[in-house]
Amino acid sequence: MIYDEPKFLPGGDRFIEMELGDELNFDLNFLVHSLSAKIREAEIAGLIELLPNMASIVISYDPDLISFADLKSEILSHYRNMGSLEDMELLSPIYYIPVLYCDHVTRACWEDYCAKITEKEYDSDILVKLNDLDGYAQLARIHSGTEYWVAALGFYPGLASLIALDPRCRLTAPKYNPPRTWTAKGTIGYGGSVTCVYPANTPGGYQMIGHTPVPVCDIEQSLPAFKQDLALLRPGDRVRFFPVGREEYDYIESRVTAGDYVHNVAHYAKFSIRAYHEWLGTLDMKERF
Amino acid sequence: MALNIDVIKAGLETSVQDFPGRYGFWEQGFPPSGPFDMWSFRLANILVGNAPEAAGLECQFMGPTLKFSDDCVIAFTGAEMNATLDGETFPMWESVAVAAGQTLACGFASVGARAYLAVSGGIEVPQVLGARATFHMAGVGGLEGHALKDGQSIAVNGGAGVPGRKVKQDCRPKIANGKQWQIEVVQGPNDDWIAEEGIERFLESEWKLQARSNRTGYRLEGPEWIFADKASSKGPEHGEHPSNILDHGYPVGSINLCGQTPIILVNDAPSAGGFINPFTVPSAAFWKLAQSKPNDIYRFNRVSVEEAQEMRRGIDGLCVEDSIE
Repeated sequence: MIYDEPKFLPGGDRFIEMELGDELNFDLNFLVHSLSAKIREAEIAGLIELLPNMASIVISYDPDLISFADLKSEILSHYRNMGSLEDMELLSPIYYIPVLYCDHVTRACWEDYCAKITEKEYDSDILVKLNDLDGYAQLARIHSGTEYWVAALGFYPGLASLIALDPRCRLTAPKYNPPRTWTAKGTIGYGGSVTCVYPANTPGGYQMIGHTPVPVCDIEQSLPAFKQDLALLRPGDRVRFFPVGREEYDYIESRVTAGDYVHNVAHYAKFSIRAYHEWLGTLDMKERF
Repeated sequence: MALNIDVIKAGLETSVQDFPGRYGFWEQGFPPSGPFDMWSFRLANILVGNAPEAAGLECQFMGPTLKFSDDCVIAFTGAEMNATLDGETFPMWESVAVAAGQTLACGFASVGARAYLAVSGGIEVPQVLGARATFHMAGVGGLEGHALKDGQSIAVNGGAGVPGRKVKQDCRPKIANGKQWQIEVVQGPNDDWIAEEGIERFLESEWKLQARSNRTGYRLEGPEWIFADKASSKGPEHGEHPSNILDHGYPVGSINLCGQTPIILVNDAPSAGGFINPFTVPSAAFWKLAQSKPNDIYRFNRVSVEEAQEMRRGIDGLCVEDSIE
């Protein structure tokens, strides 16, 4: 539920955890990011940064500039003045990410896991069976058939939890048990009802359904998109995956390697929750791509 | 004049850090990093006349051996690492003139665990996301993203330090080898997931620092936790174990309960995850964490938010020029 009264929980001398509710719910997460945007606009003296997540925001502050009580009442007044959820709009850029589904990179990673750790069914086969799909082509069609909402980042720098905005495209997947000791950077993962792009070579537990040559995190800052940030996405952004064949994949990879790949992003895109709710009301949930 | 420092021996994970570390990119998963014992670090910069944001070295458990290409003024604070300069005992908590070609050699930390080296002018590495602090897990900042390696060379900005300046005895952190520490904690943010008798047990018990502890997290060993009813009667999105909660942000210093193992999340910790944080170690107690060693014993002393903020002001008030004699 979304609480009538948000909770302001102390995290030591310089953090507050503001809990707005206690469930996994798109409206609640949208509220979290809308409030975060409002708080940032207000430029409250003494507020250092925000860490928005599923249903809460951790707020870091300088106690020499603002007290816990004053910061709480200031944030609460912004929260009260936000108006109704239905009227909220948020600037939410859409990042387009090419994906080669059932690709060579993650297949090699899966084969390595089977050889060294334990035998397991091929990841895309698990998703096809569990979600009652026709095959790999439909898996790619459904995974790339919706926009995804960046609900939060964390665990590892640049790793975003992506939630399908079209409920007809929500899939479920179990996690690797035991987890993998490595996952290739650029792997498209699916675990629970969340999809992600691995920002670096890291351990991992999500099923691997594809691979993108386009980095979402770049420590070397070699591409134009990473001149300011090391990570591509921020909470409240959107991602759209589009399927490519091997030839296009290789071409994009060569541009990334050459350092002149330009990320494809619609910075003008706004998200209106009223329009989203209206659209949800028109959907036939039995339809599938 | 600018100079170089040659890394003869890197020591055990010696890294470039700056104060207060990396801010503004936490929501993308980049932690603050920065010096673990910010009290000792800031005093080292003051000794050599550096600006507070000048980068220095954090030495952990076993310090490095460094050769200076040119004359400079340096200061070494924090843990006692039995350093020598060309074989002569090197004084701690004091600015010292080093001549071109001299070598500073550190040993194992005999009192405390982390020492800080400031060089007049400050270490020059590129700023990454606004800071020079090293976050080695992702290869960000510092010298090529990681801890020092044997044979590397560190650039230092030109600076004019004055030798012979000392930190007054009563302005230094009381780093001792007693193996017993009183660590302040503030209750929350998720203390309501723990039963009242669980809160009392946490505060009355001794907690042993495990060897698997580093700048990401400090693992503690102690008695079982007792959860409140809330921890087991929750929605499925919160996860199965009583210590699981819907993914949320982690304050730096929060005591993260993973199953039955509490982990104090420190400078390089993950920003978010799915476990509760019943208590938080305030910033004023971080120097004690930084200076303790595996198998040391912690007892936690509950303070209010306001008391923790007052303690922080107390330490800030000592990281000033007036602390120098």
